Amino acid sequence: MAVARIENLSFSYPEAATAALREVSLELERGEVVLVLGRSGSGKSTLLRALSGLVPHFHGGRFSGSVSVAGRDTRETPPAALAGCVATLFQDPEDQIIFDSVANEVAFGPENLGASAEQAHGRAREALAAVGAEHLLGRATRELSGGELQRVCLASALALEPELLVLDEPTSQLDPGGAEAFLALIERLARERGATVVLSEQRPTLPLAICERVLFLRDGRLVLDAPREQALEWLEVEEPGFLQAPGPVREHTGGAGEVVCSLHSLTYAYRPGEPVLEDASLEIRRGEIVGLAGPNGCGKTTLAKLACGLLDLQEGRVELHGRAGYLSQDPGRYVVCERAEDEVALGIDGDLPAARRWLGELGLAGRERRHPRDLSSGERERLGLAAVLAIEPDLLVLDEPTRGVDPERKRELAELLRAHVPERATLLVTHDTGFAAAVCDRVLTLPGAREFSGV
Amino acid sequence: MRPLPALALLSACVVTALVASHPLSLAALAAVLLVLVLRASWRRARLYLIGIAVSSLGLFLIWPLTAHRGSHPLWNGPIVPVLGSIDVTYEELSAGAMQALRLAIVALAFAVWALRLDHDRLVREVRLARRSVLTVALATRLIPTLERDAAGFVEALRGRGVPVQGLRGRSRLLAPLVASSLERGLTLAESMEARGYGRRGRPPRSHVRFSWRERLSLAFSLLLTISSLLWL
Repeated sequence: MAVARIENLSFSYPEAATAALREVSLELERGEVVLVLGRSGSGKSTLLRALSGLVPHFHGGRFSGSVSVAGRDTRETPPAALAGCVATLFQDPEDQIIFDSVANEVAFGPENLGASAEQAHGRAREALAAVGAEHLLGRATRELSGGELQRVCLASALALEPELLVLDEPTSQLDPGGAEAFLALIERLARERGATVVLSEQRPTLPLAICERVLFLRDGRLVLDAPREQALEWLEVEEPGFLQAPGPVREHTGGAGEVVCSLHSLTYAYRPGEPVLEDASLEIRRGEIVGLAGPNGCGKTTLAKLACGLLDLQEGRVELHGRAGYLSQDPGRYVVCERAEDEVALGIDGDLPAARRWLGELGLAGRERRHPRDLSSGERERLGLAAVLAIEPDLLVLDEPTRGVDPERKRELAELLRAHVPERATLLVTHDTGFAAAVCDRVLTLPGAREFSGV
Repeated sequence: MRPLPALALLSACVVTALVASHPLSLAALAAVLLVLVLRASWRRARLYLIGIAVSSLGLFLIWPLTAHRGSHPLWNGPIVPVLGSIDVTYEELSAGAMQALRLAIVALAFAVWALRLDHDRLVREVRLARRSVLTVALATRLIPTLERDAAGFVEALRGRGVPVQGLRGRSRLLAPLVASSLERGLTLAESMEARGYGRRGRPPRSHVRFSWRERLSLAFSLLLTISSLLWL
């Protein structure tokens, strides 16, 4: 029996020149796990939002065709009224948190559905237990790590006891072990509760192992709707980038250049007595790309910031020969100027011709005078990278540059990084093992406690 | 403490600040509220305390320059157009101190509200104008989010070798901070709607009784208000 049915759905966002979805039709059966793939901007998130009724109710736009969930037409039923049937987990858990306490956060949904405070908290406890996070019940949301927040958000969705669970890139912030545990949990929940799960992912290797069916969107059109085995064959021919790491762009240079950055016995703690980094040492030479991997919370980002001088040293020593540039996680969010070219020129004393050159190099030619916030998320990420590359750093530090990036863009980024290898030393913080293997000369793994261990 | 008794207590403090005329009563009240603020984390309390100190001191300094009363001059200044004679008298100084103390108490009461109250509980328990209360609670929580975003902006700029120093450097971050918080707000609103917020009908009332401490607070609030009107 179909939990959701989409018929000839076409949708355009307000003021958008092109349609985000074009004549999409599909049915979702009870208890199946469906993976939605596609490049950035292909319409994956829009399709998920159509299933939860947020498209068109929340976003507006031109909508044709029909979507029904649990027999209810989403055009006639607002998202809040669909909340008992469908639950959505968005990409960034930090942006979804309303309350200070975990218990209240998870109980919010059931209370909105009409449960009493006591019932709602009972359901919150059950949902947290289901995701292996009962111990977080009494904690404050502001104290939680990214992985823990992801679990709380999943529990908030499960507390609604939905028939359809919609997950938009739920593992983008988790390390490989954490992502594997999360997806195993999703598979178990689908099996035990009989809920239908639809999830989109940019790192499809793990979800491809648990899903039963794969959808592939290209420019808003559903070009593949097939069982997993059949989909794997199709992907191998049509979209091999989704099955493999970025191509063979690596040329081992051996890191023969001079030492650009030396880290000696670094120890760092954000809270007294709880060091995230202990006695860490590292040497990075010009002409090499060093990958830094490890579970969430093991201190990768801390080490990277110490290398660039963005954090004050507590113990140990850093020797940096030259200039450091740091590209933070989610760089598209941190844009400060009103034109893309000004954003890039900011770090190079307003040198607009150089800024335009870098924009062109990163495929943003023609976007120079656009407001950065009018660019797509992928373009904003590249703008952030252009702004850092423009200062021509001797040490380039990239913190999770492939988060939410589709395979094609990853391949482009890999090629760009390798093309500029001789000019600088590069430190790459990443959970993306495939990407690291493709571009790094060596990969170091920091030990540490995993936030999202198996449940 | 639950929101209603806390609100009653803080409202009584504000009423007392506005109607009481004895400086010792006001000073005692300010001291109690200050202790409550200081029991919050110093990192968060610091911002409020700086704001309160600057605004209260500002009022204390401006008051004697704009008021014209008193018969015990301490300083005779020039005559300024619009403001008139800039004299400072003993009476103006003491009135300025009283007004500054009143402002500090009102601001400290707000700081206690923002820093110490369980806003989650407030949203859950208030029956009247739940949407407005949620908006206020979310707005109160906006400050830590803005702090985190501001740190992200500073880090992103420093990572490109752009120093963020002084008033000019930091003021550059204002517009992007607002834009970023609007983007966050949209995602949050979307998430809330997807979790049933705005659904017709309201959640049933939870039947939790006030504790003895909360009842005592309600009684004390009443007593404080009456005392301030009659004696303080």
